[in-house]
Amino acid sequence: MRKVWAIIRREFVERVRTKAFILGTLLFPLFMGAMFILPGYLMSRSLGLKTIALVDATTSGLGKQVADALQAARIGKGEKARPRYDVIRVAAVGRADAVRDSLVPMTGLSRKQAGGFDGILVISDSTVPSGKAAYYGANVASFDDMQEMAGTIRPLVIARRLQSMGVDPAEVMKSVQGIDLVATKVADGKLTGESGAATFILAYAMGFMLYFSLLLFGTQVMNSIVEEKNNRIVEVLASSLTPFQMMLGKVTGVGLVALFQIGIWGGVATYLSTHQDKILAAFGVAAGAGGRMAFALPSMKPDLLIVFLVFFALGFLLFAAAYAAVGAMVNTTQEAGQAQMPVMMFVLMGFFSVFALVRDPNGTAAHVLTYVPLLTPFVVPMRYSISPLPLSELLLSVGVTVLGLVVVVWVAARIYRVGILSYGKKATLRDMLRWIRTA
Amino acid sequence: MNGSVVRLEGVTKRFSGHTAVDELSLDVPKGGIFGLLGPNGAGKSTTIRMIMNIITPDEGRISVLGKESASRDLSYRIGFLPEERGLYKKMKVVDQLTFLGETKGIGRAVARKKAVQWLERLGLSDWTLKKVEDLSKGMQQKVQFIGALLHDPELLILDEPFSGLDPVNSQVMKDVVVEEARRGRTVLFSTHIMEQAERMCDRLVIIALGRIVVEGALADVKREFGGRHVALTFTRNADRAARVLADRSLIEKVDDYGASAEVTLAPSGDADRLLRALIQEDVGLSRFEVVEASLQSIFIAKVGADAATAPAKEVVHA
Repeated sequence: MRKVWAIIRREFVERVRTKAFILGTLLFPLFMGAMFILPGYLMSRSLGLKTIALVDATTSGLGKQVADALQAARIGKGEKARPRYDVIRVAAVGRADAVRDSLVPMTGLSRKQAGGFDGILVISDSTVPSGKAAYYGANVASFDDMQEMAGTIRPLVIARRLQSMGVDPAEVMKSVQGIDLVATKVADGKLTGESGAATFILAYAMGFMLYFSLLLFGTQVMNSIVEEKNNRIVEVLASSLTPFQMMLGKVTGVGLVALFQIGIWGGVATYLSTHQDKILAAFGVAAGAGGRMAFALPSMKPDLLIVFLVFFALGFLLFAAAYAAVGAMVNTTQEAGQAQMPVMMFVLMGFFSVFALVRDPNGTAAHVLTYVPLLTPFVVPMRYSISPLPLSELLLSVGVTVLGLVVVVWVAARIYRVGILSYGKKATLRDMLRWIRTA
Repeated sequence: MNGSVVRLEGVTKRFSGHTAVDELSLDVPKGGIFGLLGPNGAGKSTTIRMIMNIITPDEGRISVLGKESASRDLSYRIGFLPEERGLYKKMKVVDQLTFLGETKGIGRAVARKKAVQWLERLGLSDWTLKKVEDLSKGMQQKVQFIGALLHDPELLILDEPFSGLDPVNSQVMKDVVVEEARRGRTVLFSTHIMEQAERMCDRLVIIALGRIVVEGALADVKREFGGRHVALTFTRNADRAARVLADRSLIEKVDDYGASAEVTLAPSGDADRLLRALIQEDVGLSRFEVVEASLQSIFIAKVGADAATAPAKEVVHA
């Protein structure tokens, strides 16, 4: 056991020391942080006061109304709210194009140039029937900004139309009020207060985590075995450890690295989500500005966490052992790329079954897949997160998975045992069967 | 198992149709240096791999340190330097050695301490904290050699330990091996370089095509092959000398160069009798030398023809 422990420690320590690990561990949270702060930050920048020249070619007074509405628009809510637009209305009945052309040279550099504008909005009498208004600005690419402006103008135009039809706009607004379906999860006959969206995010997130870890670390297991074969260190190891011990040590060591890295990432994500207002404030972003992006990590209850960890561990060991066998079969990383396809397919099947089953987590398909060893690590935590499985089903599924694990490890260890010491020629399927039988 | 540290009985190993080791039996006694000699492809590495339980023989029995097929459980008593050198390139030298020690079953702290001591002894102290990939090939080989010795094993199995080393480093390693043997350790090493074997081995076997061709203590082997040749130079009475050399009960073959000759003794003759006869005939001997055959010449004589037909490289195992 001490020997296996030496292998585990070596795998862990040497891997954690690599630049790739350190960079990956640091960059991912930075990336997450950037994803989290940047949109809000950029938005609050772009949401700075905009100076708009309103070319008013209306005879009905709509231009004045629009100017007032824009002037009244606010960024943020409550006390911190500040004006969104500074509107300068230019009356231009009958000569809208000429006025617009005269304003164009002053557009786009407003912040540096006194008397300049961010954009020119042209409203004319035809705006009401055609539903078209023109905006000329330095930055017209921001979909959100354009939507925001159109949204301010839209009700005024609709009101005009309704009035012309003799309908009271206020009545209509009231009557078209939409409905929101507020979904709340019920578990164990109790209200959880957990929203439907959070449940789905959690189900996906768990599947994704396993998928991601397998892609990243499964291939690491495979490649490091190819490397050990190539530099012949296996001979020294094989003289003092059984191939099974070698494989166990490697898979466990790499698994711990995976948990360690994911733990760091999870910790950072949790911190970001619980302290998001403070962090955003530190970057000078108003809390409301990022409101659309604000994300809440779904909370994981202890029982779900246990189910997830058990199946994550089983799934990781199972697939990592399969990857180890692939590594032992081949001689170069290029060959490994091809040879891993069958393993890869099962990983993908598992991952996509999460997407497929999340719609109907208690359907027949979901029930069946709960007992398919290679897929359970993906399927069961997902099902459990949406509606907890009865303990009997859960245990049976764990049992089936463990059985699958034993079979996969047994086969993999046999392939590994012969494979690690065979160089040069690529193993055929027939070789493999022979190895499994005779090893 | 009495006294023999490694024993092979009728061991055979075949690889996809070709027999690498053919009913090989050998006994490595406790203590001393045992040479496993042979040309490339003779089956040396395969034999060693089977002894190390890395591969299993198709037939026959192997016992190591008195136990059968359990060399892995005894790994803390065995040091192994494989033919194919291999180290983790990205690991620091001292970490690497500590790890190797641990896989042999000794404690971490002990392994580390010993690693530092050995590095110092082999002149690698400056490289303790360097990565293996920064070392020259010769230095890497020394590091791997330390890895085999670190846990102070009673049996050292070295597959081609000196290949690729310069004479200075070769000497350093040879000294270590000899010292280990003096301390009562058993060393089994393979080589195809006969000069080394000649200087170091107490006992040896020469194998070719998976079979033993010559075996025994070095002195016996040499006597057996070398004691039959005598080089002579005489200064007078060449005709009388010729008469002595014509005695078929004494001499089997003569290469006569007039004033000198190289003779091969007959099975019934011996060098003493020849010398006495020549002195009696008063041939004015200026040289009488019993030529000891070098291991090299024995090797070439015994396996020369076979070696030429042996496969160029040891075949991979399937």
